[in-house]
Amino acid sequence: MDKEDAKRGNDKYQQSCAICHGTDARGGSGSSLIDSSLVRHDVDGNLIGPVIMEGRTSKGMPAYPTFTQGQISDIAAFLHARIEVTNSVESSGPVGGYQLKKLLTGNVEAGKRYFNGEGGCARCHSPQKDLAGIASKYSPVELESRFLYPPVDLRTATITLPSNKTITGRLVHLDAFYVAIIAGTGWYRSWPLNTVKVEVKDPLDGHMELLHKYTNKDIHDVFSYLETLK
Amino acid sequence: MLYASLALSAQTPEPDISLSPVANSWPTYNGDYSGRRYSSLAQINQSNVHSLQLAWAFQTHAATLKSTPLQIGSILYFTVPDIVWAVDAKTGQKIWDFRRPSEGDHLGQRGVAYYNGRIYFGTPDAHLICLDARNGNKLWDVEIADVKFGYYLSIAPLIVKGRIILGTSGDEADVPHFIEARDWETGKLVWKTFALPQPGDPAAKTWPNEKSMSRGGGAMWITGTYDPDLNLLYWGSGNPHPVLAGVGRAGANLYTSCILALNPDTGAIVWSFQASPHDTHDWDAVETPVLFDADFHGKPRKLIAQASRNGYFFVLDRKTGENLLSQPYVKINFSKGVDAKGSPIPDPATEPQPDGALVEGAADGATNWMSPSYDPQTKLFYVNAQEGYGYWYLALGPNGLPEDHQGGGSQSLISTSVLLALDYQTGKVRWQRESGIGLGTPGILTTAGHLLFTGDISGNLLALDPENGTVLWHTRGGGSLSNAPMTYQLNGRQYVLTGVDGVLYAWSLPSN
Repeated sequence: MDKEDAKRGNDKYQQSCAICHGTDARGGSGSSLIDSSLVRHDVDGNLIGPVIMEGRTSKGMPAYPTFTQGQISDIAAFLHARIEVTNSVESSGPVGGYQLKKLLTGNVEAGKRYFNGEGGCARCHSPQKDLAGIASKYSPVELESRFLYPPVDLRTATITLPSNKTITGRLVHLDAFYVAIIAGTGWYRSWPLNTVKVEVKDPLDGHMELLHKYTNKDIHDVFSYLETLK
Repeated sequence: MLYASLALSAQTPEPDISLSPVANSWPTYNGDYSGRRYSSLAQINQSNVHSLQLAWAFQTHAATLKSTPLQIGSILYFTVPDIVWAVDAKTGQKIWDFRRPSEGDHLGQRGVAYYNGRIYFGTPDAHLICLDARNGNKLWDVEIADVKFGYYLSIAPLIVKGRIILGTSGDEADVPHFIEARDWETGKLVWKTFALPQPGDPAAKTWPNEKSMSRGGGAMWITGTYDPDLNLLYWGSGNPHPVLAGVGRAGANLYTSCILALNPDTGAIVWSFQASPHDTHDWDAVETPVLFDADFHGKPRKLIAQASRNGYFFVLDRKTGENLLSQPYVKINFSKGVDAKGSPIPDPATEPQPDGALVEGAADGATNWMSPSYDPQTKLFYVNAQEGYGYWYLALGPNGLPEDHQGGGSQSLISTSVLLALDYQTGKVRWQRESGIGLGTPGILTTAGHLLFTGDISGNLLALDPENGTVLWHTRGGGSLSNAPMTYQLNGRQYVLTGVDGVLYAWSLPSN
């Protein structure tokens, strides 16, 4: 769908159609065009065109016989663009994106205090080192979900073999039957679980503990503080 | 509508789909009307399950298998979106396939229904197709709803009294959803019931106005259950629309996120129980409403139980809808307790907020479409559940109303999966087995062989002792169990089927 067409269509629509069908095409004294089956089945004005040209006088819609094919096609483009905005399949976020100003409701100073104090974030993180420029690296929503619980598996496992020798490495698989690590050598190794002892360490334990105790205010404060680390 | 008349019924008996346990055949999505997914077959049992081995495998070369195969005589019928296969139940040899590319949502296809030599199949563009079960030839095709509004058919239809019962899925636009009954022979509409009140229904008071009510959602995602004695059909409805933004739809929003009891002859709603009043987290209440007769606190009862996506385990009297138990089965904080009717009271503090709200409970729900099971031998209810945290945003336009169908977004922070065995009289966890970090969709089957078949999300297919969760058999299928296991016996041999991504595996005992 051409954005230019939709833009021209918007202008024409606002001028001629919005008074009855609403500026957002969701209806007013006239019907909602977002919820119209005819509009949704239209291709480039093939169904919308005849309605505009002939009107629907029984429903109080006048005919607009002077509209050109180009104008009809533009209006159709605008309406299809509107439908695309109102449809949403995923719950990953609004079609139009998030606005930072709506998310920045926290207090920066309180966030900094929480980071260095109660939250214990400073035990592992530093605004000068690993978090330097973090707000420029991620979108606001991404930054927020990453500090709440990073989407990475950082678990390590120490394997005690029957000989009592121990091997430590990054954990790549652990279920009721097998354990596998990438050992310090860089090689993958795995063992049946009933032949070894396994001790797992998860550096994200602190993030999990915070999830149990955060208030929404704490989260908004910390987020507002992290957003200052551009 | 093209309709070819075929004298099929003379050669194909109607399968018996009763409340009695599934035995030799598996003629409907849940095996029988009860939704228990408990089979009376016991050739494979605790004494020999350790020697279970591969009988055959069928490679679909297609999408993830989410459907439960039907077994009618020596033929299996199963699906992915756009495709139905008929396969020899003894060998895994393909007999026929039916392919119909379509527009629309291809998220899931749970299976087909069988009746009088015919197969009934729902499509991503919301058509119901009737096929000749012998050869896959199309007999007719009816449009159920308009794909341009995001409607599609994901559920396996259910046959009740010679009628095809089905409902619409879809999560793209603010629309009304419905359940309907159609004639098995012609596909002609018999009745249609919306998951929303009609004007004049007292339940209409749970919406602020007719406009919000008329497109208020309530999609159908999972096949319901049926009690032939009470002549009641039980069906779970989905979330209200818009999905996450409750502003603009103040009230409980009946009949969304409900367990509905319907008269299968008329479609009338006989009673309803709302699992999530004013749902703003896409909790739905579509999980299989499982029927069983058992003592409840010392009194014999006809029960209906649901491990609902919002994290509550509900037990009701299935004749009246009276609530007997509402008990969280995982850690959740969206509710402040339950009201006089047993429905959770949503806590406004955990509703999606413009700057985000932390909610305890997996963002995708405490469970989802994966099939639960009730085992009459252990008297336990089994569900693959999820625990974790999500962060929920509300996104409104300048006019204070949602600009789109979602009205916000959710971020899944952490989810861990766990198999739970619940005591139906208390809702308490009798035993649990950690399944892995992340999300999966493994269903559950229990059998008279004192076995529970399922999978974990670490890639293991499992047979467990249903009393305590002890592993009795396990193997790796090259992925995680993606459908629900089912079982049947043919020529004296019991098979268990599991779908793993695009492969269907049949397991049985060594033939000697």
